[in-house]
Amino acid sequence: MVDDSGQLYTIEGVAAAVLMVVTAYLVVSTTTVLTPQDVHIIDMQLEQLGSDVLAMMDTPDSYGNESTLASTIRENNTTVFNSTFLSYANALTGTSSENMRYNATIYYRNSADDIDSFTFKASPYYRENAVKVSRWVYLPGFIKEPYASHPDLPDLQDRTQTVLLEVLLWRV
Amino acid sequence: MARLNEDGQWIIMLGFIISILMVFLALIVNQSALVGKTTSESVLEFPKSEIQDARTEIMEYYQNGTLVTDYNSLRWDLYDLSLDRKGAIIWYEIPPGGIFIHYNDGMTDYNEVARRT
Repeated sequence: MVDDSGQLYTIEGVAAAVLMVVTAYLVVSTTTVLTPQDVHIIDMQLEQLGSDVLAMMDTPDSYGNESTLASTIRENNTTVFNSTFLSYANALTGTSSENMRYNATIYYRNSADDIDSFTFKASPYYRENAVKVSRWVYLPGFIKEPYASHPDLPDLQDRTQTVLLEVLLWRV
Repeated sequence: MARLNEDGQWIIMLGFIISILMVFLALIVNQSALVGKTTSESVLEFPKSEIQDARTEIMEYYQNGTLVTDYNSLRWDLYDLSLDRKGAIIWYEIPPGGIFIHYNDGMTDYNEVARRT
C-alpha cells in the first residue's frame, strides 16, 4: 500500500542534493583560487632578477672598457645579447636551468628629438605573467651604421647618447 | 500534551559560540593574506633600481667626461625618455664642484648632491 509518511524526508533529500550540486558547481567554476600575495612576490623576484641581469650586463669587465650591453647594442649584435642575457637569467644551481623568455625594446630620441623605439630582440608573447625592467645604456660616439640593414630602420642620431633598454621578462 | 523539550540548549549555545569564533578566525586569516600583498606591493612600488640605474648612468658620464662635454644632449636623453617611458622625472645639473641629481616618480622624491672635482 502506498504510504505518504516519508514525504518530508524526500523533500529534504532533494533539497540537500540541489544544495550540494550548486556548491560543487560554484567551486569548480572558480577555476583558480588566486592568492594575491603569491603573485606579487613572484613579480617582485622576477623584477629583481631582470634588473640584476641587466646590471651585470652593463658592468664592464675592467675599468674603462665598454660593457657587454653597450657593445652589443652599439654593434646591433643580437646574437651575443641573447646568449648573454639568457645565460644570466636562466642560471640555476646544479644542472637544471630556468626557462625565461623576453622582449627587448630600445627607446631613443630620433633625429626630430621625439621618442622612438625599435625591437631589439623578441620572443612571441602570449600574455604570460610578465614584468618590465629597464636599463639606461650609454653609447659613446654612437654611429648608426650597423643598423642600416635593421628591418625597423631606426632613426637614431649619430652622437654620444643614452638609450633606454626595456625588457619584458616572463617565465614559461 | 507534549512539553517543550529543553535538553539541547547547551549544545545549541556552544554551536553559536563556536561559529562566532570561526568567523573571527577567518577574519584573521584574511588579514594575513593582505599583509603579504601589501608588503610585496610596497617593495614593487619603491623605485630602488630606477634610482640606482639613473645614478649609475650619471656617474658613468662623470667618469668618462661626457658629463660636461655632452651635458645638454645627454640630460635631455634621460629626461625625455624617463618622462615618456617611466612617468618619472630624472634631471641633473652640474653646479661648480658638484652634481645635482633629481628623481621623482610622483610617489618617491630623490635628491642628491654629489661632489665633483
